Amino acid sequence: MNAIEVHNLCHRYNGRTIYQDLNFSVRQGSICGLLGKNGQGKTTLVNILMGFLGPADGRCLVLGENSHDLSPAVRSRIGLLHEGHLAYEFMTIAQTEQFFSGCYPDWNADIFYGLVEKMKLPRSHKVGNMSCGQRSQVVLGVIMAQNPDLLILDDYSMGLDAGYRRLFLDVLHEFASQDGKTIFVTSHIVQDLEQLVDTMIFLDKGEILQTGLEEFMGSFHKYVFHDDNRFSLEPDEVIKGFEQRGRQVALYSFAGEEQIQGHLAALGIRPHNFHPAAMTLEDAFIGLMGKY
Amino acid sequence: MYRSIILKEWLKLRWFFAACVLAHLALCLRIFFVIGRQMREEHAEMVWYQAIHIHTVMYQDIRFLPLFTGLLLAAAQFMPEILGRRMRIALHLPTGRDRMLLLCLLAGIALYLIATGLGVVGVFVTLRRFFPLEVAFSALPTMAPWLLAGLLAYLGMTIVLLEGETRRRVFLALVFGVLVTMLFHGNGYGWLTPALPYLVWLVVPAMLSVFESARRFQQRGA
Repeated sequence: MNAIEVHNLCHRYNGRTIYQDLNFSVRQGSICGLLGKNGQGKTTLVNILMGFLGPADGRCLVLGENSHDLSPAVRSRIGLLHEGHLAYEFMTIAQTEQFFSGCYPDWNADIFYGLVEKMKLPRSHKVGNMSCGQRSQVVLGVIMAQNPDLLILDDYSMGLDAGYRRLFLDVLHEFASQDGKTIFVTSHIVQDLEQLVDTMIFLDKGEILQTGLEEFMGSFHKYVFHDDNRFSLEPDEVIKGFEQRGRQVALYSFAGEEQIQGHLAALGIRPHNFHPAAMTLEDAFIGLMGKY
Repeated sequence: MYRSIILKEWLKLRWFFAACVLAHLALCLRIFFVIGRQMREEHAEMVWYQAIHIHTVMYQDIRFLPLFTGLLLAAAQFMPEILGRRMRIALHLPTGRDRMLLLCLLAGIALYLIATGLGVVGVFVTLRRFFPLEVAFSALPTMAPWLLAGLLAYLGMTIVLLEGETRRRVFLALVFGVLVTMLFHGNGYGWLTPALPYLVWLVVPAMLSVFESARRFQQRGA
C-alpha cells in the first residue's frame, strides 16, 4: 500500500509551469527523500500534499484521501514539520505540550519531554526566545509525541548545526524502525539524506526521477581524469554532469567505464589518468542536477 | 481539542485583553470624575438640563474605545498566525478548518464583549450615580452602535489579515471602513436605535466572510 500517491499532477505559479504530469508514489514503510535544487517546487509539493495549495490538475492521495480534502482523522496520522520549524512562539515549552496534548488522542508526553529536556531548558522557557536549533527540537518533540503513521518533513535541516541535524537523524531512524511508519523528507543537506532514505525522488524542471538509494548509487558513476586543455562539455545522453577544478575533471554518468571512454574519444577528448571515483550522494546530486 | 484552541487564543490575547479592560476601566473612572466635578462646579440643574433636554452625551470619551478594542484584539489574535504563515500549524490540526476558526472567533468575540461590557456597566453605574434611571438606561441603545462598530472592526480586521490578495484586501477594508463609519454617525441618545435590529444582522455576513477568507488563505498556500 502507498502512503502517498501523486497522479498527473500539474501546477502553475504566476503563469510558470512548476509541474506537468508528475507521477510518483511513496510506499508505506519507506523513507523517501525529495531532492531538488532551490526553486524546483519541493515546498510547493509538500504544500499540495498537505492541502495548503490546490493543484491546477491531477490528484494527490495521502493515506488514501485526497490531499486537498484530508479528514481530521487522517491529519491526526500525519506529523508535519513545516519549513523553518514553525512553532507557536508565544507559548512556553509546557504550554506547547498542553496545547498539542489536547489535539492528538495518541499523544505521548514522555516522548515530547524526553526530546525537549535534552536541551536542559526550564519548561517555562518561551519558544520565541529559543535558537533555531532549540525550536527545531520542540517541533520534533511535537510531531514525535503525536505517534503519526506518516512524517512529512519540509527541509528539516534548515538552520541546524551538525549536532541538531544528527539528533534529528537519530530520532528519525528510531521512528522508521517501527513497523509501517513512513517518512517523506526534503532537505538541502543531501549528505544527511544519504544516511536516512531508502528511496529518492529527484525533482528537476518539473520532471522526476524516482529510484532506490542503493540502486541509484550502484548505477550512477563518477569518473575522474586529468586534462591540460580547457574544454567545455555539455550534458548529453551519456554525460549527465561535468565539473572541472583546475586540471581535474569529474564526469557523472549512468554509463560504464568503457562506454564513457569511447564517448570522450568521440568528442575528441583524450583523458589522462581516467578512473572511476568514490562518490557521495551530494556528488551524485550535483552530477545529476547540476549546480545552478 | 476545544480546550487546546481556547488555550492558544487566551495565551495570545491575555495581555491585550488586560490592556483593553484597563483602558475601559480608566475611561469609566474619568467619566465618573468629570461628571462629578461638573456637578460640583456647575449647578446640578444645569448638568441635568444638558443631559436630559439637550441630549449631551456625557460619556463621549468612551465612544471609540470599542472600535480600538476590536481592532487590537483581532490584530493580537491573527497577526501571530499570519506572520511566518503559522496558521498552517492550526490548519493541520485534526479538526475541521471552519470549526477551528469558529472557536478562535468565539474566543476573541467573548473577550471583546467582556472588555466592552465592562465599559457599558461602568458608564451605566456612573450615570445611575448622578442621574435618574432613565438616563442611565438610555446609555445602552446609545452605546450599542459603538459596540457593534467594534465587533465589525474585529471581524473586518480578521478578514483583511487573512485575505491574501492585496486588491481584495483594500476592497474589504473599504467596505468595513464604511460600515464602521456609518455606525458612528449622529449625535444624542439612541440615534441609531430604530435601525439597530437591522444593523445587527451585518455581523452574520461579516462572520461568514471570515470563513471564506480563511478558505482562500489555505488554498493560496497558507
